Amino acid sequence: MKKRLLAALLCALMALGLTACGGSADTEPAEGADAAATETTDADGGNRTVVVAMGSGFSTLDPGRVYEKYPPMIVNACYENLFKFNSNDGEAEPSLAESYEFSEDGMTLTVKLREATFASGNPVTSADVMFSINRCKNLQDNPSFICDTIESMEAPDDLTVVFHLTQPDSAILSKLTYSSLAVLDSEVVKEHGGTDAEDAVTADTASDYLNTTSAGSGMYVMTSYIPDSEIVLEANPNYWRQATNVDKYIIKIQPDSNTQMMGLSTGDIDVAMNMTDDTMAELQSAENVELINAPTKTVGFVMMNMDESIGGPVANPDVQQAIRLALDYAGIQTIVGEGCVTPYSVIQDGFMGSKGVRETSYQDIEAAKQLLADAGYADGLDVDLTVCDLDMEGVALTDLAQKVKEDLAQIGINVNIVSQAWAAGYGDAYREGTIPLTVMYWGTDYNDPNVQLEFLPGETVGLRAAWTAEMNPELNAKYAEAMNATDNDARIAVLEEIQDMMYEDGPFVFIAQAPAHIGFNTRLDGVAISDPYALDLTLINIK
Amino acid sequence: MKKAIKRLFRSNYLFTAGVIICLFWIFAAILAPVIAPYDPIVQDLTIRLQPPSASHIFGTDNFGRDIFSRVIYGGRYSLLAGCLTVVIAGALGTFYGAIAGYVGGKADNIMMRFSEMILSFPSLILAMIINAVLGSNLFNTMFALVIVAWPTYARLMRSVVLSVKENEYVTASEALGASKLRILLKEVIPNSISSVLIMATTDLGNQILMFSTLSFLGLGSAPPTPEWGMMVSEGVDYFNKFWVSGFPGLAIFTMAIGANFIGDGMRDLLDPKLRKQF
Repeated sequence: MKKRLLAALLCALMALGLTACGGSADTEPAEGADAAATETTDADGGNRTVVVAMGSGFSTLDPGRVYEKYPPMIVNACYENLFKFNSNDGEAEPSLAESYEFSEDGMTLTVKLREATFASGNPVTSADVMFSINRCKNLQDNPSFICDTIESMEAPDDLTVVFHLTQPDSAILSKLTYSSLAVLDSEVVKEHGGTDAEDAVTADTASDYLNTTSAGSGMYVMTSYIPDSEIVLEANPNYWRQATNVDKYIIKIQPDSNTQMMGLSTGDIDVAMNMTDDTMAELQSAENVELINAPTKTVGFVMMNMDESIGGPVANPDVQQAIRLALDYAGIQTIVGEGCVTPYSVIQDGFMGSKGVRETSYQDIEAAKQLLADAGYADGLDVDLTVCDLDMEGVALTDLAQKVKEDLAQIGINVNIVSQAWAAGYGDAYREGTIPLTVMYWGTDYNDPNVQLEFLPGETVGLRAAWTAEMNPELNAKYAEAMNATDNDARIAVLEEIQDMMYEDGPFVFIAQAPAHIGFNTRLDGVAISDPYALDLTLINIK
Repeated sequence: MKKAIKRLFRSNYLFTAGVIICLFWIFAAILAPVIAPYDPIVQDLTIRLQPPSASHIFGTDNFGRDIFSRVIYGGRYSLLAGCLTVVIAGALGTFYGAIAGYVGGKADNIMMRFSEMILSFPSLILAMIINAVLGSNLFNTMFALVIVAWPTYARLMRSVVLSVKENEYVTASEALGASKLRILLKEVIPNSISSVLIMATTDLGNQILMFSTLSFLGLGSAPPTPEWGMMVSEGVDYFNKFWVSGFPGLAIFTMAIGANFIGDGMRDLLDPKLRKQF
């Protein structure tokens, strides 16, 4: 009797606890936002502060060292580069640069600068550009590789920079947009221990300073940075161009998407960067909230090993094509979530030169069965699909693997899923190219279609599928051709050729671009998903 | 004994409840193909994440699979893993501990230090490491559970054997010239086994939980196998769709608590020191 009473009591307690949790979450306004609301108001009494919530912190905001997902959002607001992506699917456009010119052989790039000023009032000169790029190169930190094709620079005058390259590099303009190459106010940075000399890796001590404030020519100045908690940006009073009407940004690091969702619905947060399918459904009916789902350039793919001793039947091109035909691309998009698209081929939808999306009607079970029969597998075949414990922007790779298994079962391919932890062998096997069949994802290092050239035969990712240059010399030769094509039209032409050649051939099936979900208050204008910057704060206005 | 069991059923409601729960899951596991209304693996994306309804009483998951059918089939893996682990680890530990305790001396010392070495690792981490190294599938998970579980049985058995072997009937057997093996099998083990049995029944619930934990962490059979732990972890992404991880979670809960009730009852029945006044 006593025991039963105890059990009943426990149940009651649990129920109480649950309701208490629900209640407290509703009645907990973010005091930061309220405080901010009273701080900056314009003549009409409107609030000119925008609060952004984002999912994860980062290790540094020193432009010369940034390499994580979110710092470019801050760097893009406080600094400017020679070039910039003004829209998510466009090409790099001049920003601090006024004009540029490639030499005939593609080995030299000459950039003319605009007359601009830093937040400190100093003018932006070619010396600042050279300082910033040399500093990034000599810090030898994560992003230094981005300068690998820059042999040297010279400055004929204050407003001209000449880049001498190690090889023609059609991605150089995109690389120059990258946050690590943002133009720093060299005078200010040097004052605080910065150096671009070759011993910068040990001699440079400016990172501490650049983690507390910014030293750029951007629309905003960073006034406070509390790691893993909050960043405050205030309008740059010396901004040399037309600015937006947002006076202040408070950027909060708030990993939980449910917290973001609640803040957004109460108006405490203006932009929530990490919504999920589930939390978005909650806000579908909210009047003051708008939602955007758009594909990012993180792409999931099926990889089949070209080496018959490893891949077995999946090394057969007919089987590979049968698999490509058997996949239910529409279903995969459903699993990945709202905003997901299937790229046409190796280059993601949204990149310059991309051929867009693969139609979901591409699936053709009958043709796939026929191909399998022609390849000698009329009775079907068994194959192991190894999958690791990672997820692609929140979508577990094992989920994709389960879908692939289901789809391939329809044409008689019996897939046996083998799960292996990334750290317990999968990572090595993947890099060494010894996995017969897998589902993996690929995030881009910088925003340029050239990053996708690694999937070509004989290149880094191609070799992970044991796809050697000899297997397809014609396609392999396109690598150099694409790297050398500095003229945009010629570049697009060769990128399109590559996509067509890989549309129905090769060991990769690109199945889905993971979507990002952003929710924002309808009082804002110009909020958009941005691959290079996560969110471009310089495009947002208050209505 | 029969009388005692009858009394146990009548007086110990929790034990009765435990038996009913476990019998329910055993029948569900055996008769899964008959009970389950749908194939637990076949996907139907048109009905994904549906709340519980008449056609899918536990709702559907991320792939549109029927959660009720998956829960019913999932009992097979949990029961199999739990029971096999307990039986194998119990048998292994019993013999190991009995030998150590009965032989004594240096052999005892070495054998027990070895088992303590295994015990000194945090059990969950050790099981995860074994699983990660060997690759994760049902067999390897059970293997890892056995490796982690047997030393506890060995220690218990050894301590009981140490006192049992001092009994006069053992000395009598020795005097009659019985071989050591014969004494071990005929006298020592039968007279020490009851405490291991008690421990095995209480341990069953633990092992089922442990197995679910490992499969929650992605170290069990590969998907789409309907393991309860894995189903719970698939549901954590769907915060406000309680049924996706709620029902498999409930299944783990009932299974574990049922096994624990039985364990408690068995202790009441077999352990004279703890025997309740009926």
